[in-house]
Parts: sequence; C-alpha cells; structure tokens
Amino acid sequence: MGKAKTRKVECMIHTENLCKTYRMGDVVVQALRDVNMEIKDGEFVAIIGPSGSGKSTLLNLLGCLDKPTSGAVFIGGTDTASLSENALAEIRREKIGFIFQQFNLIHTLNALENVALPMFFAGVGRDVRLKKAEELLVKVELGERMYHKPSELSGGQQQRVAIARSLSNDPAIIIGDEPTGNVDTDTGTAIMQILEGLNREGKTIIVVTHDAEIAARAGRTKRMRDGKVLE
Amino acid sequence: MRDKFLLAFRSIRERKARSILTVLGIAVGIAAIVSLMSVGYGMEYAITGELTGMADMISVMPGKIMGGHTYIEMGGFTDRDVKDLQRISGIKDISAMTYDSVEVAYQDERKPTFVFGGDTKDLESFYVEPVGLKEGRWLRENDYKGCVIGDQVANDFFDDVIHVNDKLVLNGDKFVVVGVFEKGGMLYSNDVDRNIFLTLRAAKNVLQTDEIKYVVVRVYDIDEAEAIAEEIKEVINDNHGLDDFTMAMTMGSMLEQIGDIFNIIRGVLAGIAAIALIVASIGIMNTMLMSVMERTHEIGVMKAIGAKSRDVLALFLLESSIVSLVGGVTGCVVGVIVAKVLGFLGSAASGLEITAIVKPEVLLSGIAVAVIVGVLSGFYPARKASRMSPVEAVRYG
Repeated sequence: MGKAKTRKVECMIHTENLCKTYRMGDVVVQALRDVNMEIKDGEFVAIIGPSGSGKSTLLNLLGCLDKPTSGAVFIGGTDTASLSENALAEIRREKIGFIFQQFNLIHTLNALENVALPMFFAGVGRDVRLKKAEELLVKVELGERMYHKPSELSGGQQQRVAIARSLSNDPAIIIGDEPTGNVDTDTGTAIMQILEGLNREGKTIIVVTHDAEIAARAGRTKRMRDGKVLE
Repeated sequence: MRDKFLLAFRSIRERKARSILTVLGIAVGIAAIVSLMSVGYGMEYAITGELTGMADMISVMPGKIMGGHTYIEMGGFTDRDVKDLQRISGIKDISAMTYDSVEVAYQDERKPTFVFGGDTKDLESFYVEPVGLKEGRWLRENDYKGCVIGDQVANDFFDDVIHVNDKLVLNGDKFVVVGVFEKGGMLYSNDVDRNIFLTLRAAKNVLQTDEIKYVVVRVYDIDEAEAIAEEIKEVINDNHGLDDFTMAMTMGSMLEQIGDIFNIIRGVLAGIAAIALIVASIGIMNTMLMSVMERTHEIGVMKAIGAKSRDVLALFLLESSIVSLVGGVTGCVVGVIVAKVLGFLGSAASGLEITAIVKPEVLLSGIAVAVIVGVLSGFYPARKASRMSPVEAVRYG
C-alpha cells in the first residue's frame, strides 16, 4: 500500500465526488451522483432512503466490493481506487466487516467455521482461529449452537453468526446492508443492540436500512434519493 | 493447508452424487489405461517368453514370404543341402523335417490333413515340450507304424473321437495312434492341431518323397545366428542356382517382428485409453464449471469477507485435484482387477499362460495422468471463479 495516495484527515472514511453508473442494455443508470460524505472514527451512521436510491451501491463502494465510475473513496486516508484487487481484498479482510441482509453464510460450514473463515483467509493458525471464533460466538450469545450448520439456525441466529464473522479479523469498520431486513422486529431490535454495543466498543458502524425506527437508533442519519445524499 | 483440504473436502461431500460420477469418469479412464497396458505387457511376456526358449533356432524353409505374410513354397531341400549345412561352423544341431498334405482315413471316413515327419528328438523339443500330450506317449525313433495326432484330428475329424490304439490309414498304410496332443493354443495351433506326426522315415514313405520341407538349425552362439542364417541361404541357393530359393529366419528376428507388433498393439491400446481419459477430463471440467456456477454466490461471499483471487483459485484447484486423485487411485485398483480377469479369460481362450503384468510405473503414471488432467481441466473453471467481481457474485442467487 506504499504507493497509494494518502492524505492527512481525521476521517475514517470519506468520499469525493463519488459517481457510479451502470449500463443495463442501452440504458445508462446513474446509481450515484457526486456523493461527498465523511464518516468519522467511531461513528454510527444510518443511511436511509427508498429502494433504488443508491444506498446499496454506496455501501458496496464504501466496503471496497465495487469500484467507482469516477470520484474516490478514502479509507483511513488511502485512495482505494489506486489499490490492486489483492490490496482491496486485504482491506475487506482486515479493516471492514460485512453484514448482509441475506446473512450469506457458507452453508457447508458450521457456525464456528463460518466465523473462522475470514481468519483462515488471513492466514491465522487453526487453534487461534477456532478459539477466537468461539469467543465471538459466545459474545453474540450463540455459544450453544457453534457446531450447527446455517440451515439448522433461525434467521436471527444466522445474522448473529454473520455479525460474529464480521468481527473475526477485528476490523475498525462494520458495514451492514439491511442487517435487520430479513428478521422479525424483536430480533431486529436485538441485532441493533449488538451493533450499538460494538459501536460503544469503538467500532465505526455504517448501516443501510429503510426502517425509520432502526435508523433512529443510529448516531447520525443520512438520507438518500436518486443517487444523491441529502443533507 | 490442512484446513484448505477440509474446506475442499466439504464441498466435494456436499455434492456427493456429482463428485462420485466425476470420480467414476476418471476412474474408468485410468482403469482402461492400467488394465490394457498390463494385459498388453502380460501377452507380450507370455509370447516372447515361449519364444526365447527357442532363441538359438533358425528356421530354414524352401520358399519366400510375399507381400509381408503369404508364404510361397518354391520346392524342397535335398539331402545334399542338409549335408552342406553340416559344414557351416557354429551350427550345433540340424534337424530336417518334411510335411505335405495327405488324406487320412478312419473306418469309412476320409479327411484331408497334413503329415509332419522328422527327427523324433527335435520334434519333441519343438512341439511336445511346449504343447504337451493329452494321452499316450511321444514317438520313438523306431515307431515306424506309430503316429501322434493333433487335437482337431482326434476330436473333430471323424464321427468318433480318436484315442490311443485306434488305427488310421494314410495313403494305404496303417498307423496306430500312440499319443494325442493337447490343444495347440495361439502359437502352435497351426502347427499341431490339424496335423499327424510320424517318424521321418515313415513320413518319407507315406508322402513318397525325399524332399525336405523344413530344416531347423540350432546354433552355439545366439549372437552369430543372423550371420549363420545368411550363410545358410547362400549355400542352399548356390546348390539350386537360384537367388531367393531359401528363407532362413532366426528366432531373434521373429522376436523383433513380434516386438514391432506389440508396439502397434500398445499404441492402439493407449489410444483407446486416451479417448477414455479425454471423456473423463471433459467430465471433470463440466463438474467444476457447474460447481463454480452453483457457488457463484458463495465465491462472492468469500471475496466480500476478504478472500483473494488466489485463495479462491487454490480452493477450486484443490477440489479438482482431490476428485481426480481419488479417481486415479480408484482407477488403478479397478484396472488391476480388470487386468487380472482379462488375463484369466485370455489364458482360457488362447491356451497361452497370460498373467497380467502390473508395472509400478504404469500405476504411478496412471495416478499422475489423473491428477494432471484434473488440475488442467479444473484450471479454467477455477480461474473463472477467482476472477468474479465480488459484488456481482454476491448478488447472484
């Protein structure tokens, strides 16, 4: 990462004129238009907006899953556009934890192995890995179900496994794409409580949601419409 | 590394039916290679093994081979030819034989057959030792009225099966059967099964000729056999004033010819096996491509949580190598069993003792080929998997 452009900023994440366009056949869709935002270290930010407003696109760019059409995403002062595929994979692995609406656990692996997987890709030794995964599952109150496959777990349990997984390489940033979208209200509240707890421990948390109640629990809310962030 | 194995193993097990089919595909290919090669070696060994016992022999015949395999008889040798041969140095032993077609009668039935006559000791080492007698004994030098008959003469020629002490009539002369040959098998069938063997004197009498149709020469030094064969041709051709009256074939040159034939056979067998293997590798590629497509989402998730392209590539390659290694080992085991069975059936059918020879290098290269094929045909799908954009892959499915 030595070659990457760096700047002195206090912000954990900020974007500069971020644009993303998709081409769907002959139609060009502008999913993001000139998004400029800053997220500081330790913030809890909720991004809300109707579907199609570009919030998931923004999240994918912030999470280094996708590359912008123009503009830049800076993470800890590093311009991610200048990084190779491998370096981006390292950022996803070390600095960012992802939580998806569909949980996205690997169904051939049990809860413990799913949580340990990011550490496996990071080259952490087996014993260390499994011990840490166990601790994380205890932390999300799934210590009893460590050896269950995802198909044997409820939606809320699966999402808690996913949260534990997102924490496994101890990232500074947790990104959630509608993390409560596929669970009932009570479970959703419980998941938000876990995220709040993590935020208190110092993690930066960015969550996309269209549930105003959930959004209200975040420290700061960004509203999106038609690919733009409304202040 | 151990964890990578576990991970790959999980996904193989998860798709049990398809993994088993792929393993079978490879196993069939490898089994084909291993069994065909082993039986090929076994056949070669069985045949050359029988022939090497006769490596010091030169067959001398009055005729030539036309068009590669048709023998044309040009006449017969005389006693003078045989005497002249005795003057050539390096020759240990000469045995002159005669044969011709003749009618054999048993009670009221008549059949055409061949009468073969020669030195009884030579005929014994030439035919009786390799083929064996089913009944009775071999001819003695003074058995002027005795004969030994081939398997077909005994069993198929006449309504009754002929046994020892039955009487056959050849050109008006009565002969008593003193022995019956076993079936000649692949190598000796032509020479033994339809023939009647007599002492040289009796044969000359029955055939009413002094002409010698076949001379077998034994040499002291096998390395000199080719040179001696040339000399034999020269001597006899001089006697008859012809250029190509005589054919003298060393066993060595026959072995060489057989070796050539075996190279061709082995090539054909390898070709068949290669086709089986190509089919198998298309199978692996198909399985792996399906696996990649089916797991596009999973690949996306892995990348989203930090897997690099090379991590994904390694996982998929490992998976296809495990599948092909298991296929290779299974194929070797099955191949050895099939080879043994084929050898057994082949022995029963040909009368030749064929034992499949399983060479370790064939097994090793079978497994190596399986793994190489597996890795190569897994490479394209694996690379395809590793290059997927995480965001699109996650969205998939």
